[in-house]
Amino acid sequence: MENELKIDPKIVSEFFKFNKNIIEAPKMVPAPDEINLEMTPYDVAYTEDKVRLLHFNSPTQKQHKIPIVIAYALINRYHILDIHPQKSWVRNILTQGFDVYMIDWGTPTKIDKYLSFDDYVNGYIDNCVDFVRNEASVEKVSLQGYCTGGTLATVYAALHPNKIKNLIATAPVIDGKRDTTVVGNLAKHVDVNKMVETIGNMPPEFMYYVFSVLKPFEQGIEKYINFFRNVEDKNYVDNFLRIEKWLNETPPIPGELFKQWIRDIYQDSVLIQNNMYVGGKIVSLRNITMPIFTQVAVGDHLVSPECSMPLHYAVGSEDKTLRIYPTGHVGMIASSFSQKVVLPELGQWLKERSEK
Amino acid sequence: MTVEPDYKKSLEYYKHLSLFWTDIVYLMASKPAALTSAGPMRKFAMQAKKLATEMIEANEDLTEFNTRLAEYYKQLSDTWIEAQKKVNKKIPEIPQDMENLEASKRVWIDIFENDFTQLFDSQKFGENFGKLISSELELSKHWNNMLSTLLETANVPTKNDLDDVYKELHSLRKRVSKLEKSERGVNDGK
Repeated sequence: MENELKIDPKIVSEFFKFNKNIIEAPKMVPAPDEINLEMTPYDVAYTEDKVRLLHFNSPTQKQHKIPIVIAYALINRYHILDIHPQKSWVRNILTQGFDVYMIDWGTPTKIDKYLSFDDYVNGYIDNCVDFVRNEASVEKVSLQGYCTGGTLATVYAALHPNKIKNLIATAPVIDGKRDTTVVGNLAKHVDVNKMVETIGNMPPEFMYYVFSVLKPFEQGIEKYINFFRNVEDKNYVDNFLRIEKWLNETPPIPGELFKQWIRDIYQDSVLIQNNMYVGGKIVSLRNITMPIFTQVAVGDHLVSPECSMPLHYAVGSEDKTLRIYPTGHVGMIASSFSQKVVLPELGQWLKERSEK
Repeated sequence: MTVEPDYKKSLEYYKHLSLFWTDIVYLMASKPAALTSAGPMRKFAMQAKKLATEMIEANEDLTEFNTRLAEYYKQLSDTWIEAQKKVNKKIPEIPQDMENLEASKRVWIDIFENDFTQLFDSQKFGENFGKLISSELELSKHWNNMLSTLLETANVPTKNDLDDVYKELHSLRKRVSKLEKSERGVNDGK
């Protein structure tokens, strides 16, 4: 017959295999709830309100005197920096001989609605930094901030430069007006005052919506097709489920902090203009005179390089390094690429600037 | 798109009508009814006007919300149609066998991803999104206000009362943290 539909038999067999995988997936794959995201053991060194300062146990002997304090982002949880033994940012730095602390912001509730930039920077970060300085008997620590944590770390370094030996800004949100991502576009059009006044803290569901429009077809469809195609590959499944679980655990953001964030960073871009006020003091990036290492990713669809890179040019430091990596927002911190390229470079840079 | 003037006019009329009667009834009946000032009904009667106003205004905002939501889905559907047209043009060029199945999927994903990212990145999407969220928040506000009115009649704390408590707690926590810090400084001899 001339009109007979011709389908490659391999397509048919692939289709049946795919369906079989969907049916058999529950037998082969653990539920996300059964996965423990805690990898490297740690002690809780200090707590304040819902914030915890984690001190990671090192598998090697400490070789450098200056400890590193990591200020994680406000979106999702800190687990991404220690998501998998072979892709762990924390473990890699530990094995390079550094003492590592990380700030876990916890899960804000309604009573935290009025926590502001001031509380996070001059309160929580400052208290954590003081604690580490005291514990390690050092005058200054190295401070790393990732994503929105990069912004907090930057503001902290500008307001307390005497306590920071080295600053590492990894995909920091600095000049929101220049941000070319969908996040930047949506942030610029939201009436944030009305939002916070009406609903208080920024609910995780709103953040999930924003994530869903970032790469809707790759992240919303293709990713899951690939998962069901690869359910027999234990390594693939383990990685996939860890990242998925991490992506779906984001705490609310305190209303006051969110309001200041959207207004000052995305809508008015006052941080890069040295015109942002935190705790009644003006934040001047020129006050950042310590060595600074800025890491950005070309394929970052959450914080575009145009948004992060102005930091490198705005600081007062003479010792400053900017690295642009051919990867994405998460790829820069939790991938084979980060283990092979990003972390060795960072470790080398830090070693040269941390006392033995 | 904004609310039609005629519709607005009649809304204003009903708003006025409802306020007129609730005010008049209140003026006529409030004195003898003061006997019941310990119970919830008097409080409710006093607040009834607020409920009516909120309902009418919520209706107005609902129209705006619907307009924005329709625009939101229109933008999505227009983009989908355009992207699908591009895919339809491209796919016949790729042989339909197993080897090229992945290539076809890639074309589909790439075209859709590109077109939708362009939409989400655009000024028109951002503006409508902002207004959609804003109108949704207005509806929430009316709902909050109506609930607060009812809660007040039952002497139960409202959202504003809780906000005052949160504010007070925040300020107390700040003071405690400062005191702890200065105490640590004294102990450390700083």
